Amino acid sequence: MATAEFMGKTFTVDEDGFIDAYENFCPEWVQWVKTQEGIEEITEEHERVVTVLQEYYEKNGIAPMVRILSKVTGFKLKHIYELFPSGPGKGACKMAGLPKPTGCV
Amino acid sequence: MPEGILCNKKTIDTKEQLDAILADASGNQYYEEMNHLDIDKVALWTTIRKTFKSRFKTWLEICAHCGLCAESCYYYLANNRDPKQVPSYKIKTTLGELIRRKGDVSNAFMQMCMDTAFAKCSCCTRCGVYCPFGIDMGIMFSYLRGLLFSQGFTPWEMKIGSGMHRIYRAQMDVTTEDWVETCEWMEEEWEDDYPGLKIPIDKENADIMYTLNAREPKHYPQDIAEAAVLFHLAGENWTAPSEGWEATSLTMFAGDWPACKMQVENVYAAMKRLKPKRVVGTECGHAYRATVIEGPYWAGIKTGQPPVENLHYVEWVAEVLRTGKLKIDPAKKIKEPVTFQDSCNYVRNAGLADIPREIMSYIAEDFREMKPNREHNFCCGGGGGLNGIGRYREERNIGFKVKRDQILATGAKLVVSPCHNCWDAIRDMEEIYHMGIKWTFLKPLLIDMVEVPEHLKPKEE
Repeated sequence: MATAEFMGKTFTVDEDGFIDAYENFCPEWVQWVKTQEGIEEITEEHERVVTVLQEYYEKNGIAPMVRILSKVTGFKLKHIYELFPSGPGKGACKMAGLPKPTGCV
Repeated sequence: MPEGILCNKKTIDTKEQLDAILADASGNQYYEEMNHLDIDKVALWTTIRKTFKSRFKTWLEICAHCGLCAESCYYYLANNRDPKQVPSYKIKTTLGELIRRKGDVSNAFMQMCMDTAFAKCSCCTRCGVYCPFGIDMGIMFSYLRGLLFSQGFTPWEMKIGSGMHRIYRAQMDVTTEDWVETCEWMEEEWEDDYPGLKIPIDKENADIMYTLNAREPKHYPQDIAEAAVLFHLAGENWTAPSEGWEATSLTMFAGDWPACKMQVENVYAAMKRLKPKRVVGTECGHAYRATVIEGPYWAGIKTGQPPVENLHYVEWVAEVLRTGKLKIDPAKKIKEPVTFQDSCNYVRNAGLADIPREIMSYIAEDFREMKPNREHNFCCGGGGGLNGIGRYREERNIGFKVKRDQILATGAKLVVSPCHNCWDAIRDMEEIYHMGIKWTFLKPLLIDMVEVPEHLKPKEE
C-alpha cells in the first residue's frame, strides 16, 4: 500500500486513496482529503456529513445510501455534491475514513 | 482441508457472513487465507466434466497458435507486446492446463488462474472477432472464473458482490424499502423544476418498465431522477418495479453461476408480474449482457430471449429522438469535438453499433470516432469487474493506456459513455493520466439539450 505524508502524519492508503483502516482516521486526514478533493474550506456542513457517515458506518459496517445521508443531514442531493464534488460515495466516504465502497462505484 | 473464515468455498448467504467479509478492509485477511486454501480436486474435476462442453473443448483443441489474437488484445498492446499477454497463451496456460491435468492442480496454480482471469482479461471478447476460428477467450475466461469461484478463488470484492446479490438481489445493500424511498425522494427534489414528475412504481401493463444498476439508488440517485425526467418529457407511460429493478450481475463477473440464475430470474419475475410492453435498461453495459444476452440461458429459457422485449437505454434514446418524442434544441447541440465510447457488452456483443452513431448525429456538431471503433473498439480498460478490484489496480491502469491514447487521438475533450463501467474507467483514467477530458452519460447531456414542452414547464410565480 502507498503512503501519504501530511501535517506531520503518515497515512497508509489503498489503491484508490482511501485510508487503510478506519481506526487511523484523524483531523489531519480530513485536511489531507480536502487537498486531494480540491475542496476550498472545510465547513460545519462538511463536518456534519463526515459525522453522519461515521455514525452509520460504526453501527452498520458499510457506507449508507445517499438517501439516508440526505435525510439525517437535511442536505439536498445537489448540496451534498456542492460539498463533495466527486460525490458522496467517493469524496465524502474517503474524508470520513470509510473503506472504498465495493461494487460498481 | 483448510478453509478460511472469510476465504472459503462457501457462498455468502447471510448478513452475518457479509458483515464479516466487509469488515476485512481491502481483503487483507481474505487473501492471506486464500494462500492456505486447499483444492477439492474431485469436486473440481466433477464440475469440469459436467460443464466443459463441446464448444470450449473444440476451441482449446483447434487453436492453431497463429497469434492473430495477439494484436487484438489491449493488454498485449499496453504491456509492450509481452508474449505472455497473447490471449491464446493466457487461456492455454490456465483453463487448458487445468483440463489437461484433470483438475489436479495446486493453490499457486489456482491463484495464477485467478490473477490471469481477472487482471489479464476483462472478458471484452475482442479476440474472438479476430480469431480465424472465432475462438473467444473472453467467454472461456468467464467460464474459468466460475470454476475458480467454486473453489473459493475469487477476488475479495467479487465475493462480496456475489453475497450482495444473494442477500439483496442487488449488487449493493439496497432493500426494496430503500429503493422505493429513494424514488420518492428524487420526485420531491426534482418536482419544482419538473412539475408532475413521478416515478411510478409497480404499474401494470405500462409501455416501459425501467431497470437499473444498484449504484444508482445507493450512490448516484440523480441518475434515477434524470431517467424519470426524460421519460416524463417524452410522455412515456412507464414504471419501475419495486422488486426486480436491479439488472446488473456481479455474480456473472464473479462466476457464481447459481446466483446468476437467481438474480436474473428476479428481474424476469418483475417483467412477468407487471407485464410491460417493453423493458428499457439503464446506461449500463453488463446489465444488458446479464439480462438480455446471457440471462435467458441461465434461466433455462429455450427461446434464448428474456420474457419481454428489452432495449438498452441507447435504443430508447435513439427512438425518442428519431420520432420526435424528445426534441433537441438546435442551439444546444454539442459544439466541441466529442467522441463516443462503444461498450463491449452492447456494441460488440449485441450489435448495437449503429444506434450510438444515430444519437450522435442528433446531438453533436463535431462527432469524432475513435479508431478503431464500433465492434472493433477496445474495452475501456475496466470491464469484467476489474474497476472494482483493488488487487489489480496497477494492471488495470497499465491497460488504460490503450483507451487513453485512442481518446486523445480524436482530439475530443468530451467522451459520451452510456455504460457505468466505461464511465468509471474514463473518470479514473482522467484522474491518473490527466488527459484534460470530460466524460458523461447521455441522461444529463439530454436534459440540458431537450426542449421542454410548454405544458410541462414550471409555472412562473
